[in-house]
Amino acid sequence: MIQLSHVVKEFDGKRKVRALDGVSLRIAKGEMVSLVGPSGSGKSTLLNLIGTLDKPTSGEISIDGATLSGLADDDLTRVRRDKIGFIFQFFNLLPSLSCMENVSMPLHLRGWSRRQTRERARELLDLVGLGQRLDHLPDELSGGERQRVAIARALSVYPPIILADEPTGNLDTATGADILDLVRDLHQRLNATILMVTHDRAIAESCHRTITLRDGRIVGDLSRNAAS
Amino acid sequence: MMLLRLITWPYVRKHLLRTLLTTAGIVLGVAVFVGMHTANQSVLHAFNRTVYQIAGATQLQVTAGEAGFPEEILEKVQAHPGVAVAVPVIEAAVQTGIEGQGNLLILGVDMTGDRSLRDYDLENAGDTIIEDPLVFLAQPDSLIVSEQFSRRTGLALNRKLTMRTMQGPRQFTIRGVMKSAGMASAFGGNLAIMDVYAAQLVFGRGRKFDRIDLTVRAGASVDGVRRGLQRALGEGLQVDPPGSRGKQFEAMLQIYSMSGNVTSIFALFIGLFLIYNTFSIAVTQRRSEIGILRALGATRGQIKRLFLLESGITGLLGSLAGLALGVIIARGMAAYIGGLIGNVYGVAQRAEEVAADPRLLASALGLGLLTSLIAGWLPARNAAQVDPVRALQKGRVQVISAGENRARRLTAAVMLALAVVCVFYGHQQAVFYTGYLLSILAVLLMTPALGNWLTQALRPALKRIRPVEGALAADSLLQAPRRTSGAVAALALSIALVIGLGGIARSSFESITTWAETALNPDFFITGSESITQRSFCFSDTLGPEIAAVPGVEEVQAVRTVRIIHQGTPVMLVATDVERLARRVRLKVIEGRRQEMYAGAARGEGVVISDNFALIHRVHLGDVLRVPSPGGMLSLRVLGVVQDYSDTQGTILLDRRLFLRHWRDDTINAFRVYLRPGAARDAVRQDLLNRFGGQMRFYVLTNQELKDYIRKLTEQWFGLTYVQIAVAVLVAILGIVNALTVSISDRRRELGVLRAVGGLRNQIRHTIWIEALTIGVLGLTIGFALGAVHLYYILEVAKRDLSGTRLDYRYPFQIAATLLPVVLGAALISAIGPAESAVRGSLVEALEYE
Repeated sequence: MIQLSHVVKEFDGKRKVRALDGVSLRIAKGEMVSLVGPSGSGKSTLLNLIGTLDKPTSGEISIDGATLSGLADDDLTRVRRDKIGFIFQFFNLLPSLSCMENVSMPLHLRGWSRRQTRERARELLDLVGLGQRLDHLPDELSGGERQRVAIARALSVYPPIILADEPTGNLDTATGADILDLVRDLHQRLNATILMVTHDRAIAESCHRTITLRDGRIVGDLSRNAAS
Repeated sequence: MMLLRLITWPYVRKHLLRTLLTTAGIVLGVAVFVGMHTANQSVLHAFNRTVYQIAGATQLQVTAGEAGFPEEILEKVQAHPGVAVAVPVIEAAVQTGIEGQGNLLILGVDMTGDRSLRDYDLENAGDTIIEDPLVFLAQPDSLIVSEQFSRRTGLALNRKLTMRTMQGPRQFTIRGVMKSAGMASAFGGNLAIMDVYAAQLVFGRGRKFDRIDLTVRAGASVDGVRRGLQRALGEGLQVDPPGSRGKQFEAMLQIYSMSGNVTSIFALFIGLFLIYNTFSIAVTQRRSEIGILRALGATRGQIKRLFLLESGITGLLGSLAGLALGVIIARGMAAYIGGLIGNVYGVAQRAEEVAADPRLLASALGLGLLTSLIAGWLPARNAAQVDPVRALQKGRVQVISAGENRARRLTAAVMLALAVVCVFYGHQQAVFYTGYLLSILAVLLMTPALGNWLTQALRPALKRIRPVEGALAADSLLQAPRRTSGAVAALALSIALVIGLGGIARSSFESITTWAETALNPDFFITGSESITQRSFCFSDTLGPEIAAVPGVEEVQAVRTVRIIHQGTPVMLVATDVERLARRVRLKVIEGRRQEMYAGAARGEGVVISDNFALIHRVHLGDVLRVPSPGGMLSLRVLGVVQDYSDTQGTILLDRRLFLRHWRDDTINAFRVYLRPGAARDAVRQDLLNRFGGQMRFYVLTNQELKDYIRKLTEQWFGLTYVQIAVAVLVAILGIVNALTVSISDRRRELGVLRAVGGLRNQIRHTIWIEALTIGVLGLTIGFALGAVHLYYILEVAKRDLSGTRLDYRYPFQIAATLLPVVLGAALISAIGPAESAVRGSLVEALEYE
């Protein structure tokens, strides 16, 4: 379960920018939530904070009942690597690594053996439909295929939470739909909590719940009975 | 220019440290080039200035090398119809013994005629002695000193100065003080004038002069008189303008120019790789910027020119800084080289002012600029070829290298094969140097492949040490070999340079030590000067039997060493009793048969030459040498070639009887004294000093003292080599720092991803450390191998084009062992900053970094 309480995030620059302004919310285990709002509303910032990539200026964030505030960088990293899988809009794959190696990386960082990492990576790449592309470099793949590799990487430890920042934003409509189907399928099969930033109204509406942000505040929180 | 201001300048400002590190390679290359050459030129300039200042109005000089010639030659010269004034000169540098004053250049002149050649601008009442030279002549203890020397030492007019002469301590009176201008400022003002006949006694020259200075009659052609006089005197004497002494001196300095050239070329090469590395990465980092420019209408040519201009400006700024640093380096080096030349060759000069030649500065600037432009050319071409559509697509990361270039490996293999062929046809200079260049280029081209193979070999070990970080570091290097190959190449070049320099120093030390053990085996060396290399003071040969009569002395060998001019370059002539020398000394024979060569030389049938003389002058056993002597040009057959390191310019050993016959010089520079078995060394030495020390300048050096002196001199000789090694190590460290700084900033996003997917700070930190250490290991391994090749070539260069010294190939394992912790330590320290910036920076920014 993810819980945010009065979370504020400010960025210092020539002028101080408040990206999130007292956000409080609860996301239950297994929920599939879309996060919508105009550009600059604070969606990605919220995702980064939940994903422990960044720290809030004030307020509390807790995951599975454990509060994140006060945790050192390495402890935050441990939370991230045990509980969270990331899917980025621009994939963020390591360009010099093959699909297999990219997916293996989080496992490798945990100290898994080469055999274990390869087995898991193969299994995940099969799962996302890239079982035949194990040794390809990201540059040799299409946008949709790259995003599938990124999803496989995000799932490498079967994390309970998956954060996706516009996972279809950089893809054409058909590929985007494929990716979304894949995410939805994984959600059903793995029962992971999914929080997805999107600009696409149809994608947002396909989720159990849609949270709308504007100027760093939650201005809407709509729950649906089931994904359409 | 607009693009430069709007596009380049903000990028440079953002990556200031990287820009400075990149420029530093060029700075050091140019600085070493300028430093070494300016120092050499300054020493040469100081020598020439002294020559010209004391030459006064002299138009021609008659010399016989250092050997001097009998007084009657003067009459012959004066009798020549083209000669207006001809005066005798004795010139010698002596140690003042006064703290901080170094040597004093003493000029023995004949005041009666000399004033028409030289201007003795005296300060005060002392003029009377010049008004009437007879006063000066009548008082052989007269001394004129420069105002500078007088002021520095407190030796004012009429003060007494005691000097140790070959007649024992003699008191001299300052009878004139020259104003600080013109001649008086020669040799940094450490100049004294005495009567030439008094100088003969002081320096033990017998009835000989060192030189005749002359002017030609009004209307006569200087060259015409020179040729006429040369004909009249014979080829054994040299008639030349004063400036020709500079040319001979320049030959002695050549060794430094050459070694400085090798170091600076290497440093520039390293600079080239650093610039190439940085610019290659900059092109990939700035691809979106290039894409935008192209989308806005910039042509490929404009993009190429922009990057070329950037590398040109880097080169220009680096070269300008290098010029300034070079002049500073030259200041330190000029005095050092000057002192060394004085110690080794006994040549008088004081390099106090550094004169930077504008032509040299311009060529150094051009060299730095050219290096930079060559380094920037490939990245600039790559920048021009960037596809704007791909460049503008976010998330499409361009990989610096997707793999190894087969063509490059093939080229390297062909170059290597050609280099091997060149070794077999290396007797031709051009082929030899082509082979040298090809072998270095081949290894450098192979660097990415070699780096890959080595990393693959290291991976299991790294993984065993740190399972996660070790493997990550190795994989990072394996996946993008060209990201670090420039830096590895630069590091390998620096290490090869160190191995080459260290190797030649080690080989020289060992060869000289072995030679010294063989050649310098007498118990005592007796000289008239404080050091064995100074030849200003000579003994009478009658002293030999007197020394031999001292109880405990078994044998005395009298040695006369003089520097003569052979084919325009100064070489050392060693005259001694060859038969006795051969009984005691067994030098390694290179050509000829030991017994025959020495027996023939003892009979006066020819000479035995040193190996380096043979190589420099390209002569062999059986060839006939034309050796100038005051009695005329001698034709002497080479009876043998031996390994002898007595002089860097080469030695000719001949029997003393032959020398006496043709040079008519019975003076002695040194006695080699062998004691009877069981004789008390200290007691005999004291006895010798008691008997002769009070009567003349008489120094007794023990065998160990002489060897220590030779070792000190050798160390001094290689002092500049150590400076060059330090520069090379500095460049190596610079290469690592540059590589890591560039590599880490290039991988900011990649490291961000690693952290985002669960990499702990320490994992990232250790990965970067291990990567740095691995780069160090790659550089060291390739550098050690390249160093082995470089050492082979540099020893060949030393043999064939530098000093003619045949040195054994000895790999400097000790230096290599020292380099290990230095380079690895530097790598680790260099990695700390980039590693910290990688783990401490904002993760969100890193993920968005393009």
